[in-house]
Amino acid sequence: MDRRSFLRTSAVVAAGIAAIAAGLAPLRDLKNFESVEEFLQKHYKELTPEEMKQALERISREVERQYGLRPHVRDLKPMDGVEFAYALNLTRCIGCRKCVHACVAENNQSRNPEIQYIRVLKMPNGTLDMEKGDHNYATESVPEKGFFYMPVQCHQCHNPPCVKVCPVEATWQESDGITVIDYDWCIGCRYCEAACPYWARRFNFTEPSIPRDQVNPNMAYLGNRPRHQGVMEKCHFCIQRTREGKYPACLEVCPTGARKFGNVLDPNSEISQILKNKRVFVLKEEVGTLPRFFYYFDV
Amino acid sequence: MECPSKASLALTGLAVAFLALAMAFHLEIWGRYEPPPALPRVDPSFTNTSTVRTSLAELKRTGGDTSEFACNACHEVGDHARKLRLDEKGSVILPDAHSELVMRHGRSNRNDNCFNCHDEANREMLRTRDGRMLKLEESTMLCASCHGPTYRDWESGIHGRTSGFWKRDLGPIVRKDCADCHDPHAPAFPSVKTAPGPHGLHQKQEKGKFHG
Amino acid sequence: MIKNYFRFLLRCARIALVGDWRYHLWLGWLAVICLLGLNAWCKQLVHGLIITGMSDQVSWGVYIANFTFLVGVAAAAVMLVIPVYVYKNKELHDLVIFGELLAVSAIIMCLLFVTVDLGRPDRFWHMIPVIGKFNFPGSMLSWDVIVLNGYLILNLHICGYLLYTQYQGRAPSKWFYIPFVFVGIVWAVSIHTVTAFLYVGLGGRPFWNSAIVGPRFLASAFTAGPALIILALQIIRRTTDYHVTDRALLTLRSIVQVSMLVNVFLLLNEVFKEFYTGDLHASSARYLFLGLHGHHALVPWIWTAIAFNLISMTLLLLPLSRSLRWLDLACVLAIVGIWIEKGMGLVVPGFVPTPLGELVEYTPTLNETLICLGIWAFGLMCYTIFLRMSVPILQGKLSKANETPGEINRVCPAIQSRTATST
Repeated sequence: MDRRSFLRTSAVVAAGIAAIAAGLAPLRDLKNFESVEEFLQKHYKELTPEEMKQALERISREVERQYGLRPHVRDLKPMDGVEFAYALNLTRCIGCRKCVHACVAENNQSRNPEIQYIRVLKMPNGTLDMEKGDHNYATESVPEKGFFYMPVQCHQCHNPPCVKVCPVEATWQESDGITVIDYDWCIGCRYCEAACPYWARRFNFTEPSIPRDQVNPNMAYLGNRPRHQGVMEKCHFCIQRTREGKYPACLEVCPTGARKFGNVLDPNSEISQILKNKRVFVLKEEVGTLPRFFYYFDV
Repeated sequence: MECPSKASLALTGLAVAFLALAMAFHLEIWGRYEPPPALPRVDPSFTNTSTVRTSLAELKRTGGDTSEFACNACHEVGDHARKLRLDEKGSVILPDAHSELVMRHGRSNRNDNCFNCHDEANREMLRTRDGRMLKLEESTMLCASCHGPTYRDWESGIHGRTSGFWKRDLGPIVRKDCADCHDPHAPAFPSVKTAPGPHGLHQKQEKGKFHG
Repeated sequence: MIKNYFRFLLRCARIALVGDWRYHLWLGWLAVICLLGLNAWCKQLVHGLIITGMSDQVSWGVYIANFTFLVGVAAAAVMLVIPVYVYKNKELHDLVIFGELLAVSAIIMCLLFVTVDLGRPDRFWHMIPVIGKFNFPGSMLSWDVIVLNGYLILNLHICGYLLYTQYQGRAPSKWFYIPFVFVGIVWAVSIHTVTAFLYVGLGGRPFWNSAIVGPRFLASAFTAGPALIILALQIIRRTTDYHVTDRALLTLRSIVQVSMLVNVFLLLNEVFKEFYTGDLHASSARYLFLGLHGHHALVPWIWTAIAFNLISMTLLLLPLSRSLRWLDLACVLAIVGIWIEKGMGLVVPGFVPTPLGELVEYTPTLNETLICLGIWAFGLMCYTIFLRMSVPILQGKLSKANETPGEINRVCPAIQSRTATST
């Protein structure tokens, strides 16, 4: 090769390297580098108690760094002899959407972009065809005559399609019926989001943003600890509350008492009474998901 | 000589192209990321767990102002009521002292007779149809005396909000009385303000368009 | 033996760096597009998938659309293998390698498309069995990971082995490639069937939950894939002095002909099933073909695709398409039509409306498009380099016989006069 072509080739190579370097420049802004600890962390089911303790410590530190408060993060295990179920009285729901916002506040969901686990549909009387539902109703007050309101959230199905399709088993169902997600294991392929027949799963398209003063410090590893960009999340029946014997936030805030929750294995619970005495039904029964979330109309 | 000169042209062209690309990347000519616009904060009234009204029982529990319920400040015990004035439709015409009340109990206002619930002799007492006397804060049993199926559901926790602890041995359960949600004079559940609806990830934006 | 292999690899790598001005211009241009894609992907890594047009309602977009199309292209390499090894068609023998190299490039593109679609690509190791957690056999995605990587390795082995033995100037040993070739035939069908099952297995998405998706995938793959190979072979004919016979092209044409007929027939089946009963499950199909509640972004796309497919089918059936010019047109129309149909025409309507009846449309953003173009450019770069290496080997120009220590082989292919196109 003569000198001229050598210089020319070098010029091209140099320019090419400059272009590559400039092309990679956006990576400068990569914040929130996960620690080596987090990168190598094993799946939730394989963590020893010691490793779980370290993980909880790490999460506490991260939350403190990001939001300036020291949270109370714990790993709550399911209780024996407990299987949760949820019932929603469609006669009583007035569509106020307080459950949506109470859930957001309780579970540290991103405000911007907005993530809401519960979606309320305004349905015209006489049909369950959800295509006729209105998601964006904005009447001054509710309820509106001629319509009923149907909130939908994760049904924690007995036969969950999302669990079946996850390639890395980042989501599974626990013994108390709650389908959980290990946010540190999820790879963000969104197959579960495509699989869910109830559109219950949400993805973090970017780093979530929660106002500092609205962070709920009572956190659980499988529940409402703040998530990061690129992972899935969904309703988990307020696992940080329900596994301590409390009701979920959506139920606490409902002004009409349309929401009912409890241990279906306890015959005296409200939920058992409802399943026994009311005419309950589930959505999309033909898909075979066997939801734990029942709807009914009342007097 | 065709081969080398075209090659040199090509290589020069490539060098220029790469440099231009490097400049374009550096100057971020396209695809600058704009974060999604901030959404307004949700009014805290949409996340508080209070009921739509407060009953006398609740006021007494929390030490609130119960002066509204001191009927005997105006009415003498034993003072028998004047006959109720009814309009042409049969609805009661409220005396001026109680004109702020809305009377709408029952379909076609069938239950608008004050003394269906209030005792004629002692206005601070309620009286069931079978003659039981109840204090004002015990109004739930009065409601139950007519609304059987609803009371049955309320007793088992199905009607009305049951909150607190579902696991009874870990903490107290919180029940609401009928009057915490239902105005006894116009018991139909009121309309409430609608909380804001959902905002999509890529809203249709005329200004401040953001995209990759 | 290892030293020989290294020398072979080194010479292949060296020859990839030399070529005439068209070669360098082509690769340079592809490199520019690759860099555009790389830059866009860096932005995506930093800010997340919000810079795409995807949302919770439409959670898969052009990345998975391209992935689906390219798995089909990769599977179609087998369409060259069957005539050669099952029907002993010697004519196409060497072309098998070009087909399989296309399959390798396509699989590389598929893997890249999946990687850019992940929310956490750094966590890919979670999918590796034993050290991660692999949901096999439950998740169809886990099947897809196995079959795609297996197919890649299979094709790399077959091509690599055949090229290496050719380079060494000895006949390949049957046992090292014939069994793999037959496994490859079955495997090619499996990669596309598994990809189809990704969609079919979702009961909550009635648009996808249909038995016809698998057969349609294969029919469209065996149309678009050989069509791409027809075009690629003609480019090889023009840019190198490798002799590709018209007979080979016409054999491929008959494959594309039959597959396109089957594809159109299956389309008619789908349309009838969706629209005849008028039931609620047809909402997605209605959105795609007719528009739904005022939303009709995809309608012009799908009708263009159908028009292209029908015109291509007609051309292929006419003797007119024996002429290469018309054949090329038919191939381009088929490829574009099937790309639209299988990509935007399959993936996006499955999400519209959502399972809760919400209608949110999807438009890819500039960043998303640049990443797609970048990956396509990278795949084309791979294929170009593979061809640059394999053509001289097959012609005997690059072989062990002409190994000289320390000298760089300079091959400047003369520009051949075009072989007369047969009419």
